Formats: sequence, structure tokens, C-alpha cells
Amino acid sequence: MEATREIYWNVGHGVVLPMYLLTLIALAVCGYGFYQRVAVYRQGKPLDRLDNLGERVVLMFRNMLGQIKVLRVAGPGLPHGIFFWGFAVLFIGTLLVMLQADFTQPVFGLVLLKGSFYKFYSVALDLAGVFALLMLFGLTLRRFLFRPEGLKITRDDYLMHLLLTGIILTGFFAEGVRIAATELRLNPGLAGWSPVGLLVANQFAQLDSSSLKQLHTLWWWTHFLLVLGFIVSIPYSKFRHLFTTPANYLFTDLRPKGSLATINLEEEGVEQFGAEKVTDLTWKDIFDADACTSCKRCQDRCPAWNTEKPLSPMQVVQQVGEVAFGNPQGSLIEKVGNDVLWSCTTCRACQEICPAEVEHVGKIVEMRRNLVLMQGEFPGEEVMVAVNNVEVNGNPFGMAYASRGDWSHGLQVQQLCDGAEVDVLYFVGCYASFDKRNQEVARSFVKICNAAGVRVGILGKEEKCCGEPVRKLGNEYLYQMTAQENIELIKGYGIKKIVTTCPHCLNTLGRDYRDLGLDAEVEHYTVFIDRLMREGKLAIEAHQFDYTYHDSCYIGRYQDIVQQPRNILHEAGGRINEMDKSGKESFCCGAGGGRILAEEKLGTRINVKRVKMAEETGAPVLVSNCPFCLTMFEDGIKTGDCEGKLQARDLAEIVAERLQPASLSKVLEASR
Amino acid sequence: MKALLIAEYRQGKLLDSTYELVAFAKELGAETAMVLVGSAADAPKFEGRLYLADAAKYGEYNPDLHKKLVLAAVAKENPDYIVFIHSSYGWDLAPRVAASLRTGQVSEVVALVDGKFEVTCCNAKMRRSVAAKGTTTVVTIQAGAFSLQGEPQGSPQVEALELAETAAKVEFVGYEAAEQKEVDLTRAEVIVSAGRGVGKKENVPVIAELARALGGELGASRPVVDAGWAPHSHQVGTTGQTVSPKLYIACGISGAIQHLAGMKKADFIVAINKDKDAPIGEIADVLVVADVMQFVPAMTARCAR
Amino acid sequence: MKILVCIKQVPDMESRFKLNSDGTWYDETDLAFRMNEYDEYAVEQAVQLKEQLGGEPEITVLSIGPDRVVEAMKKALAMGADRGVHIQDPKYYQKDPWQIASAIARHAASQNYDLVFTGMQSQDRGSAQVGVTVAEILGFACATTLVGFSYDNGVITAKRELEGGTKGVAKLKLPAVVTCQLGLNTPRYPTLPNIMKAKKKEIAVQPIAELLQEEELTATARMYPPARKGGGIVIEGDVKDQIEKLFGILKEKTTVLRAA
Repeated sequence: MEATREIYWNVGHGVVLPMYLLTLIALAVCGYGFYQRVAVYRQGKPLDRLDNLGERVVLMFRNMLGQIKVLRVAGPGLPHGIFFWGFAVLFIGTLLVMLQADFTQPVFGLVLLKGSFYKFYSVALDLAGVFALLMLFGLTLRRFLFRPEGLKITRDDYLMHLLLTGIILTGFFAEGVRIAATELRLNPGLAGWSPVGLLVANQFAQLDSSSLKQLHTLWWWTHFLLVLGFIVSIPYSKFRHLFTTPANYLFTDLRPKGSLATINLEEEGVEQFGAEKVTDLTWKDIFDADACTSCKRCQDRCPAWNTEKPLSPMQVVQQVGEVAFGNPQGSLIEKVGNDVLWSCTTCRACQEICPAEVEHVGKIVEMRRNLVLMQGEFPGEEVMVAVNNVEVNGNPFGMAYASRGDWSHGLQVQQLCDGAEVDVLYFVGCYASFDKRNQEVARSFVKICNAAGVRVGILGKEEKCCGEPVRKLGNEYLYQMTAQENIELIKGYGIKKIVTTCPHCLNTLGRDYRDLGLDAEVEHYTVFIDRLMREGKLAIEAHQFDYTYHDSCYIGRYQDIVQQPRNILHEAGGRINEMDKSGKESFCCGAGGGRILAEEKLGTRINVKRVKMAEETGAPVLVSNCPFCLTMFEDGIKTGDCEGKLQARDLAEIVAERLQPASLSKVLEASR
Repeated sequence: MKALLIAEYRQGKLLDSTYELVAFAKELGAETAMVLVGSAADAPKFEGRLYLADAAKYGEYNPDLHKKLVLAAVAKENPDYIVFIHSSYGWDLAPRVAASLRTGQVSEVVALVDGKFEVTCCNAKMRRSVAAKGTTTVVTIQAGAFSLQGEPQGSPQVEALELAETAAKVEFVGYEAAEQKEVDLTRAEVIVSAGRGVGKKENVPVIAELARALGGELGASRPVVDAGWAPHSHQVGTTGQTVSPKLYIACGISGAIQHLAGMKKADFIVAINKDKDAPIGEIADVLVVADVMQFVPAMTARCAR
Repeated sequence: MKILVCIKQVPDMESRFKLNSDGTWYDETDLAFRMNEYDEYAVEQAVQLKEQLGGEPEITVLSIGPDRVVEAMKKALAMGADRGVHIQDPKYYQKDPWQIASAIARHAASQNYDLVFTGMQSQDRGSAQVGVTVAEILGFACATTLVGFSYDNGVITAKRELEGGTKGVAKLKLPAVVTCQLGLNTPRYPTLPNIMKAKKKEIAVQPIAELLQEEELTATARMYPPARKGGGIVIEGDVKDQIEKLFGILKEKTTVLRAA
């Protein structure tokens, strides 16, 4: 007897018409739901997210089918992935049934589900179902019984867990009673290919044929109606992420990480800057709210949330959705709250981990822009003073701009205004220029350049703040003013290559300045030194030491520079003790997003929390390569009572101390 | 040479600063006469004529009438200098007198050098030497810049000043006491700040005591505030308050940029630190290399003496 | 109501001051300029009054100096002033306070202002004379060093800052001049739309010569940096000696121990 089964057994072909009709209605309701939502998305400003379509489509399928982003957090990610694949197999199986029963068989007389393929099909679907069910069960336990902190239970969660469990169970029951009534009696060998179905069938084996048929009808219809319920509920519940999350992969931001929209300040007649209302954001910002599944991964990693500050990136995204769907003309900023907006360090931990590619940081900066540019508001008076200082003196400390290059006295570093020929421009930044602690870093870097025979120059008093902190605080106007001056200067000197010791300068000059016309190559000194060492131009001696390394957000997450610093420190004789949160999962020092200029009034100190993490590794040295991080750690070590136990060093200092005698003589020669 | 000194009287009392005027006149080598809108019961001690108007009648702050009273004394004395304290009273009244006389005014004199007035400018970063043209000059002197050696002496001949017309454009309503609630470091003349170098929370009050002994306020660095050793309102620096006191004493503060940026405008900076190479030493006028907890209590005791 | 706000553009006080060629004022190279801090409070108070009166008053902002002062005026315009008057004077520093006040008064007399706001002093010259002298020449009521301002029906209630934190409250009728102390209000950060609008507001230019008829009454003979007070003294050794040394220095170089 051939291995196959009768489609529409028991329910009969008479169901085809009502079944398709009901399905069509369900699909229509689903479609209408999305149609309504699209209208809400369209309240946002236009934004082209369909350029490079081919690349986008590939990204979408890879991320969706591979569950790549979801799997990055294995705990709940793997069950979700397995469930997804299981459910996908069940879906394909159902499609095959449909294809055969209502198309290939009636039209061509072609039966697909027969023979060995049918056996394989039966096993595959049964296994897929059972895996999906088990995973779902596990996820249900997690959601409702062993709920991790921060995970919420909403109406949607009950609906989703019940519907999905019901669909799979009723599927198995319908299958089971069918097998009990048919295969178990007529073709027992075949029943073995449906192991779960067989298991269910055995429970019903004693029933007579008509009872089984009645039961089958019941299960079949329940299964079918549940599926219809599922289809209908997609746009009206978190199920919508089945479509919106893959779509968000499609609409992903292909620009370099951390790119913000550069406001065109020349445009005439524009009187609205930043986002006060949800309609001031782009459609993609509203869409993000629909792609978000409230998985709270962003919140778990947010340095503000983890130090008892009011910001949860997840909540901000959700609030955008709530306002867009509930009260689109209302004030989004009021809903979110100023304290929430000012708490963000733009560390990008949220965005990096988000399985739905939601863009959190841009929304927050857009709202900050509104606060600063439209309302003249800052997180505190001290920030306004610092911003004014940047405006007047080109640095947030209000130090005389003419003294910016003073740190370099006595070092072999050229001032470009003297007409020097240089290989690289060292863009020093405000901290290394004025802060005594960070001046050590600047001096170390110059020594390293000298040792490698690199001719290095600085802009001296002509250099201005790169504008990063003020930009992240929302002051796009001041950012562009200072940026323009820097760009004109750099272009005027015909600079081809820039190296920074500050990752904030790095991202600003290398990425943000592109929009304003700078095209010189910009590199962080970590990458620069790593290459010099690999090319054999810089040799250092290894002196053993134990350390832990802090990945600055703007180096690790923003620039994907994770391995180079570790390589250099390894060459220097370092034995690393990694912190739990390292690499792309690093925990912010608290200074990003312009927070370096602001008092940390709410919650506990981010820098202390990070310093404690470093202390836990037992390593006596905390190495970083960002002036903001170094400053925060120097303070955090004092505040966190780690003095004597932990020392904050910059990578450049470690390298400069280990320059080989041969190189050192070059330094001496150079400084003569 | 004659100097007409304009005394200050507030809330029923002659102000001590009045004797700074006398000291200045001495340094000028000028004969003195004085105008006081006050009371005979609390008259200043000096040698010369005292033109006394009754504050009960002419008010303690009534610039229009006080100007006329001073002008009346000027008419009688024909002085070379009309001298005020550079204070809320003096800088309010002096230009009115100068303008009425169409005579030059030199503000906030800190010293006399070669017959010219030395005045501060650019937030005390620069000095100017100013010469007045004309026969009479109005001068305001910096509070605290001139002080009398020894106790004030002498008894002036009192002459009453009266005005026929007492109409005025400004009506004085009354005084409001200083708000006592929170510290306002931006207004403090002396700030003594605690840094992590003080060691522990229990030591912060020791620093506060020195501040009190100097009539100043307690300041703190960010790590001290972050550690909860001092309230936020005391934090000095870019993430706290930017201050400009006459004297700033940094105790156990190494001098991170965010702190330096907040206090570098102080007129005079003393750093007490056991590390001779601490960055704070670069901007301090005086660096005391000592253990903070040894030095500060002893200094407090010395100030109280 | 017509309001005049007199502002000055001054170097940032953190700048390094170098002397000009005749040694009577600072050289402007390497200096960063900004609006005199006291005047920011004056602008803010004027704008707040305009807002209180429903936008009726017209605010004119006036500044004397070289072309660079237009930058400070633009900030005042961005904060909410309506028009500017730039009295052009590249040699502003050679005018004494009397001359500056006379020129302002001459302009003001022709415009029938009801109320003049200005800072209590400039950060660079710091004479604290100009506002009061303008009032005196114009015959306006005047109060200085305001830390509180309210206006009702032609009467200003001014809260003056006195020494030791005490405040003196006075009432004055318009026309009046008030000079503003730091802390009078919180000067606003201009919004971007207002910065853009300010670029289009009118700034009338008038050479100082057209307004100045007075001779100077005082003159700067020279400018110089003060002898560094402590000279970067390092005091080491025995605590007792250290205290005596420090005490002596404080007594000599500062005024705080004298006042105590």
C-alpha cells in the first residue's frame, strides 16, 4: 500500500469553499490591520530605506531565516529560533497540503505527498511540531513562572502563548484521531512515520470509528479556527513582529554605525528642529515601535537603566508607538520625559543587541535636539556653561583657546600653522589638550610616533572641540559651526590622514564630518599603532603585567575595533583578565552622549559600577583608550574605593613605556 | 590737598569700611572731611569736618537725595577727591556725583602709584594705572584694599546738612535678609574645598571648619560628592558650580580638569596636597606640601586666634 | 514702551592678555570674545519684560566698539531683542566711561526710550559707571546691582544686592535705567529659529563721532599684569612653620583675613 493520506479525510471536500472563504476573510482582516498601521507609520517624515535593495533583501532573509540576531542571546534566543524553524516547517507542510489538494491534484492529477517523500514529510512535521511545542512550553514557563526581571506580561503574551500552544496541540489531536481511525487499522507501518500522531492515536484507539470521526471534525475545525484567529491577530498583537521584524531587517540603517541625520541649516523657512511630536520623527522611527517585541535586551544592557536612572531604551521605543497610535499630535517629549532623554550615554549597547534592528539612539538625539534647539533646554546649568565655553573658547572647560597647544612644548611635534610637512595630523581633542592626566596620553602618543619615525603635527591653538558632546546633547547648530571651522582648517592644510587618541573625535571626524565635506582618512591610534607594529615599524619590549581592558563604546561597538588593542597589549607583555561585559557587550563608562559635561544627579554612578567590574577581575590595571573613559575611571576609582587596588592607564602610556631602546634613541634624536 | 570721604551707614549702623576711606586719605596725604547720612549717635572717629545728615530724614538708600547732600558738602569743601567705597552704595552714588560735577571718576582703586590710581580690570587679571584730568576727581576704592593701622581716633567737628527739597525718583522700600537656605558657592568670598585626599567622609567636617573660620563655604570635588561625602550643592567644577572667590583653598584635591575649570577664576588659590607634583600646583598661587588632616586643623586653630 | 539694552563685547576672562603697542589696553589677537556676562542678564530681563507685556515693547540693543561687537549683538537679537544700533568705534578703549555714557545718552535722548537695561559693569574695564551716568545725563531714575526685577504699571520694583547677601528693595518710576547683577535671572540659550531670525534683524550703524562731543575726564596711562600674587610659592617643611608662612601670605596678598 502506498504511503500517502487522503487530504480532507472525514471533513470532506465540501469544506474547501468555506475554508478558503474564511481564510480569505482572515487574511483580509490581517491585511486591513496592517493597512491601518501603515497609515500611522506614514505620519512620520519620509526617509529612503530601500536603497541598495538587493543587499537589504539578502540581509533580511539571512537574519530572519538564520535567526542570527535572535540567537545572540542564547537563553531565550535558542528556544525562539527552534520554535521559529519548527513553526516554519509546519507552515511549509501546510502549504504543501494546500498546493496538492487544491492545485496540483485537481489540475494535473499530481500527488506530491506520497511514498518516501510522504514518510519524510510526516516525520519532519511531527518532529517540527514537537520541538516547537517543547520550546514554546519552555518559553511559557519563562514568561509566566520564572519570569526574569524586567520582562513584562501583557494581554498579547497570553494570547500568543495560548494560540500557538492550541494550534500545535489541536494539530496533533486532529492528526492522532485521523491515524487512530485510518492508518492504525489500514496501514500500521505508515503510522510509525508520524511518531507523535501515533502516540496520540494510541490513546484513542479504543474508540469506534464514528466517535473518532466526530472527534476529528471537532479538532480539525478547532485547529482551523485557531489558525484563523492567529492570522487575524497578527497585526493586532505582538504577532505583528512576524512581519515587522523581518521588515526592519530590510529597512536597516546601512550607514556607518552611529550616523545621525545632519540637519541642513542652510534650508530656508525651516522653523522646526528635532522631534517634539512623533510626527517630527521619520516613519522608520514609528515602525521601530512595531518591530520591537519588548524582549528587554536593550534595557538589560543600558548603563542608565542599570544604575537606577529612569531611562529604558525599550520603553522609549514603545512610547513612540503609543504616542503614534494613541495621540499623534501630543507631545512625545512630555510622554518620554526630559530626565529619560538626558540619561542616555549614546553607548549604543541597546542598538547593538536589538534582535529587531530597532534604532534607539537616533530617536533620543532627535528629541534632545528639540529640547536644545527649540527650547534652549539642557540637562543642567553646568551643561549650558560648558556649551557656551565650546562656543567661545572651543573647549568645554572655558580654557583660553590660545593655550590649547601648550602641552606639546618640548615635544617633537609640528604645529601646522608653522608650515610643517607631516605624515599624519594628530587631532588632539579637548581632554588631551587641557586635562593634565590626559596630556600624558598625548605625550605618549607623540613619543610613539617619534619612535616609529612618523612625522606628526597638530593644529595647536587653531584646533577646536570636534563638537561631539554638544552634538550628542542635541546642539546640532553649535556642532556644525565648530565642525565647519575644523574642516576648513584641515582641508586648508591639505591633510590626508588624521589620527586621534579620542574615539569621540574619531567617530566625529571620520564619520560625521563626511556629511560636511571632510574626506581625509581618520584612524584611532590603536589601529594606527597596531599596524605600525605589524609592519615592523614600531617595536616594543614585553614587560609582563596583568590587566583588564575596557572597550570604549565608540571604539568597540561603534568602530568594531576589538582585537587590535588586545593584540598590542599582548605584545606589550599583558595578560588579560576579561570583564564579563567586554567587546561589543562592553558596559559604558558613563561619559558618552555629552554626559561627560553633566552632573550625574539620578541613580548611582555608572563609572563606579564599571570600575567595580574591573576590580572583580582581580587585575591591578584597567586599560582603556579613550580620554572620557580614563577621566571617568580616575574618578570612579576614587569614589569606588579602589585606590591602591586598581590603576587606570591608557594604552598609549603602556606602549610608550615599552618602546625599545633603539626606538627610544629615535625619540631622543627627534626631540633634539 | 583735600579729600571728601563718603561714609556708609546701613540698617542703623555706621559701617567699618568707613575707616578704609580714612586710611586711603592718609595714603593720599590729604586733609579729610566726611559726609555721613546716618546718625549722630554712631559717628565716625577721625580728624576733620563731618557733614552729617539724618538718615531718618534722608534714608539709608536714597541716591537722589544723597547725591544732593554730597554736592552740598562739595560746594563747601571744594575737595580734590571725593572718595567712596566701591560697594553697592558707592558705585551707585559716585557716578551720580561725578556726572553732576562733570568730573572724572576712577573706579575700584587698589593702590596709589606715582600719583596715579591703580585699578583692577579684566577680572583682576590685569591692572591699569589711571590718571584723572581736571581739578576734582571722584574715586571709589576697593573694599579691603586700604586699611587703617591701629584704632580709629579723633573727633570731627560736626556740621549738619539739610536739603530744602526732598523729592526723589527712587523710593526705598526696605531690606530683605540674606537667604539662609542653601549654599551659594558662586557668591562666596572664601571657599575651602575637600578632595579625596582628605581620606574619609568623617574628615570633611574638619575642612568645613576651616571654611567657617575664614567666613567662607565648604566646596568639594566631584569624587567627594560622588562618594556621598558632601552634598551636591557643594560641588565645584564643570559638572558642579563655577566659582570665583577671593580665596580658594583646595585640600587634598589633585586637580582634574573638570575641577580646575570650575575654580580657576578664584583671585587667590592655595592648594594643600601631599603630592608636590599634583596638577593643582600648576595653577595654585601657593602650594602647601603637607598632609591635609594634619595641616587643616592647625590652620583652623591659627585663624581662630 | 521703548526699551534700550546697552551691551558690551568683552574678551573671555580666561584669555591670555597681552598688551597692545602703546601699552594702555590689551591686544586683541588670540582673544576669544563674548557678550559681557552682566549684560546677558540685562538682555534677558528686557526680553522677559517684553514677554510679560505681551510683546508690545520694542527692544533696541546698543553696543559700542569695533565690527566684532556685532556678534554679541546678534546673540542679544537671538535672545529676543528687536533691532540693533552699532555705534562704531575701533578705538573704544580710548574713551573713558564718561564719554561712553555721553554717547549712549545722546543716542537715547533722540529715541525716547522709557527704560534702559545694562550690566552693572563690564568684565574688562569694570568701572560700574556707565549705566548710572547715562541715567544722570538723561535725568532718569536709576537703581544698580539688581538681583530682582518686577514691573507693574509704570513702576519698577528693584531688588538690589548689598554686601553680605542682604538685599535692598526700591521702587522707581519710568523712565529709568537699571543695571543688572549676575543671578538676576537665567539668561536663555537662544533657540535655533531665533538665531536664524536674528540674522535678518536690522542693525543700524553709526560712527561714534556723530554722537560724541565730550572730552575724556580720565585716561589710562598704562596697563600691566599684576605681580603674580603667590608667584607659585611652594611651602614645605614643618606644619607649624608652614602655617605661619601661609598666614603671612594670605594677610599680605588677599583681603580675606583683614575683613575677618
